[in-house]
Amino acid sequence: MPKRTDIETILLIGSGPIIIGQAAEFDYSGTQGAKALKEEGYRVILVNSNPATIMTDPNIADRTYIEPLITPVLEKIIEKERPDAILPTLGGQTALNLAIDLYEKGILDKYNVELIGANYEVIKKAEDRDLFKKAMERIGLSMPKSAVVKSISEAEEVIDWIGFPVIIRPSFTLGGTGGSIAYNREEFYPKVKAGLDASPIHEVLLEESIIGWKEFEMEVMRDKNDNCVIICSIENLDPMGVHTGDSITVAPAMTLSDREYQILRNYSIAVMREIGVETGGSNVQFAQNPKTGEFYVIEMNPRVSRSSALASKATGFPIAKIAAKLAVGYTLDELSNDITKKTPASFEPTIDYVVVKIPRFDFAKFPEADPTLTTMMKSVGEVMAIGRTFKEAIQKALRSLELGRYGFYMGLENVDENLLKEKIIKPNPDRLWYIAEAFRRGFSVEEINKLSHIDIWFLNQIKEIVDYELYLSTKDISTLTEQELEKAKQWGFSDRELARLLKTTEEEIRKKRPPVSFKVVDTCAAEFEAFTPYYYSSYESLSGKVEEDKIIYYRDSE
Amino acid sequence: MEKIIILGSGPNRIGQGVEFDYACVHCVWSLQEEGYQAIMVNCNPETVSTDYDTSDKLFFEPIVLEDVLNIVEKEKPFGVVVQFGGQTPLKLAKPLEKLKIPILGTSPESIDIAEDRERFRDLIIKLGLKQPESATAKSKEEAIKVAESLGYPVLVRPSYVLGGRAMRLVYDTSELLKYIEEAVTVTEDKPILVDKFLDGSIEVDVDCVCDGEDVLVGAVMEHIEEAGIHSGDSATCIPHYTLSDEIVEEIKEQSRKLAKALNTVGLINIQYAVKDGEIYVIEANPRASRTVPFVSKAIGYPLAKIASKVMIGKKLREIVPEVFQIKEKHPASDFLPKDFPFYAVKEVVFPWNRFPEVDPLLGPEMKSTGEVMGIDRDFGLAFWKSQAAAGQILPTSGNVFISVADKDKPHIESIAKELLKLGFRIYATSGTHKFLKEKGIESVLVNKLSEERPNIVDRIKNKEISLIINTPSGKRERSDAYYIRRAAVSTKTPYFTTIRGAAAAVMAIKSYKEKDLDVLALQDMRGI
Repeated sequence: MPKRTDIETILLIGSGPIIIGQAAEFDYSGTQGAKALKEEGYRVILVNSNPATIMTDPNIADRTYIEPLITPVLEKIIEKERPDAILPTLGGQTALNLAIDLYEKGILDKYNVELIGANYEVIKKAEDRDLFKKAMERIGLSMPKSAVVKSISEAEEVIDWIGFPVIIRPSFTLGGTGGSIAYNREEFYPKVKAGLDASPIHEVLLEESIIGWKEFEMEVMRDKNDNCVIICSIENLDPMGVHTGDSITVAPAMTLSDREYQILRNYSIAVMREIGVETGGSNVQFAQNPKTGEFYVIEMNPRVSRSSALASKATGFPIAKIAAKLAVGYTLDELSNDITKKTPASFEPTIDYVVVKIPRFDFAKFPEADPTLTTMMKSVGEVMAIGRTFKEAIQKALRSLELGRYGFYMGLENVDENLLKEKIIKPNPDRLWYIAEAFRRGFSVEEINKLSHIDIWFLNQIKEIVDYELYLSTKDISTLTEQELEKAKQWGFSDRELARLLKTTEEEIRKKRPPVSFKVVDTCAAEFEAFTPYYYSSYESLSGKVEEDKIIYYRDSE
Repeated sequence: MEKIIILGSGPNRIGQGVEFDYACVHCVWSLQEEGYQAIMVNCNPETVSTDYDTSDKLFFEPIVLEDVLNIVEKEKPFGVVVQFGGQTPLKLAKPLEKLKIPILGTSPESIDIAEDRERFRDLIIKLGLKQPESATAKSKEEAIKVAESLGYPVLVRPSYVLGGRAMRLVYDTSELLKYIEEAVTVTEDKPILVDKFLDGSIEVDVDCVCDGEDVLVGAVMEHIEEAGIHSGDSATCIPHYTLSDEIVEEIKEQSRKLAKALNTVGLINIQYAVKDGEIYVIEANPRASRTVPFVSKAIGYPLAKIASKVMIGKKLREIVPEVFQIKEKHPASDFLPKDFPFYAVKEVVFPWNRFPEVDPLLGPEMKSTGEVMGIDRDFGLAFWKSQAAAGQILPTSGNVFISVADKDKPHIESIAKELLKLGFRIYATSGTHKFLKEKGIESVLVNKLSEERPNIVDRIKNKEISLIINTPSGKRERSDAYYIRRAAVSTKTPYFTTIRGAAAAVMAIKSYKEKDLDVLALQDMRGI
């Protein structure tokens, strides 16, 4: 079925100012969405209060309103522009909340405006903790023990059943604002109170703590014919207890067996269907008990999210653009993949590299603030890096952060052991570097796993990097073999870090080390030719070369 | 086709946000329009610049020398653009230049003059402009001496950090000592910088584009808050709403001089402070500033795009010939005719709700994460919109709590009177209450934290207060004011911590009560 012709004008709601928990990713998704709808010939009305965005450029939409994102202003815009539909799923929580309010106040009915992408019932079902829980029960998926409460006295009634530690999540807030963890009764009451205050509807979810469990996310898309594709699986290196936005995440998931991946794939699609997201992208989060392998569903976002931006960049699959097209009636098989031009959007992306995202924090600006990472997001930005291996990708990501660190070294030699352990137990922005330091001091992978609950696989990777770093530091540039230098580069060591370890200059390393090669992000692991010029570097030998705008592949097997 | 590499802004952080990605994307589009192949390098997945269909080629790579050089070697570009991505690419300008890689636009040498205190001072003197008095101190004793001779309050900061980090406004010797002991080290090779603080002055930001011959002033922006607040944390208005046209014209003139003297090719941002009719240059940055998107949207001309064309050798007279035809120019912008009827107010948002331990107070160090804009024909309504967009809906009735520092008391009189006229009731603690009483302004006395309950914080928490005006005394200890501000944040009660902010709020409330709020599409502002 082609696109809908019964609608002409579509209102797109942006996400407002950049705040912690809702950042530039929605400029990316809104811009893509607006461009996609215009390309299809719709008249696009855009509203966003944030001028520092590309989407509010006057040539992106047909009509651009830089106005406050509040219901009365939205009503005025609707009255003036008379849109046939609103697409609220590209502007983060802000846009969804506004859409709900416009619906509940009868404004959408009054002006005969339809919600596309996700309707009122879907948004409610995904966002209302109680409704979501019941929906998950219906499809037989488990969730942590939990209860929604609206007052301290209600909280008191359920806390014995849930037990400590307990996670407090306010309803309808952005990026977990007001969320916290209580370990005892004394801190429980003030934290519940703070959570209730932070929630616009004065409601919090009390949830059994599954701190230390492994955390996964699945990016799913569905069209109106019920075709579903998984765009990407994402694994959080930081276990449950740290907000996804503050977690180091890796795509694709590294520690799932194929059987487990298939389970999550099925679960994600089941969640999408049960919640009823008719078209578009959603993000479903899962936790896994590392001892028993049992999965819990944590939550789902019936909209494009921070993780969707990451998944789009990680795979090359333009989630926001496709979501916008699905919302106006296309199906996945009717849309083509821009990158290959041959495959339809119903092909699930395949990736033959590893992507690592690391959040960027700015606690130096807030010296009084507690840098412990919790369920309330505190990071202000993020970097992503692509490599052939996890080792290469994570070391690239570390130097992308611009913290003056060019790898796993930050000068923690003089930190005493108690502090070192504390910094590994309590999640904080520098935890990775403390872990590396612990390995330098001879801690075992098992010990660090006990302290941090980070999966053994990731810890082994870091330990191997640190072990090699220790080996390199016993050498200097003249005693190191070419093979050893090549291995260091393939494991992601920066020239600058190697210069430090090998007691020479960055320039010298650059001269001696093998040249880099560039590879293509192509959504299909080189199965088809790629037409989009989207590259990442790697020191892996013999595999790809960029020649003008044509990609020539070299393969060991060819 | 010649290639040009644009270096992006890396991870978002406070002080370097999405506005730089905006500028980079405009640069890409602009260079494509001019027939170049635009190659984008960035490592931030939250951006439009890293969308694969934004540039001709996208390299998802760290913005550090090693990785940038790899790309430069591979692509052999005609030039590299470092002026749109904030500090991140700027840091690479010198190392790249050293390797004979052409940097497009303003030269690294000019950037250095602007950033080097001594060299910049020489330039200011040569041009016959003014700067606030300042000095360097290499020891604690010297710092005290210098501060006393300049006269308090002074702005102090370490010489070795950029961008307002660890900068503090101190009002007396004890605060200065506390700062030196707690926050910084002062040694022979790590001196601290002491600037005379122009208390009560009005700050102004200017964004210009220069092609080496002509300079066009994008806009002169008048800050809402008085000096002492980091420019990235200040609300600001285009055009000026309290400064005179003459002062603004003079600021434009000085900006033209500075832009040319620095051999700017592209964008330059200059900050000024105006006190008693005198104009002081605070700093100049020959690169894209964070206000570029705001200015571009307020005036309807994409400055970053125009600057990009200048950087590859085009002249402003070719790019925007119509601007040179404007007969009567607007005092605040070379791009607008005199009768341009709109006010655009930029306001910022803070992450206070994320950090409950932090005092939600503005200062010389930037803390905001994002910005919003309000546009209207009326200044009051534009300001009202900017506040609403930032999450602060100004009240139309109720109780206003006023508690201001002694130095601010004289200025509160007219604000209080206007509030009464608008139908508000005023609550005040003893000091302010006494002052208002002397001026014949009625107010309800409320208890301080140390006094009998219910005190002011109880009243805020009980939502009896609909607006708070609370200016800091300068001391930073955890006083009543801290708890008042925290209570304001947690109850989402609108609050203002500067006199000029409060005055603007009163204008906004008045406009909102008297006029109708309307919405405006950018496309209707000018014939786009």
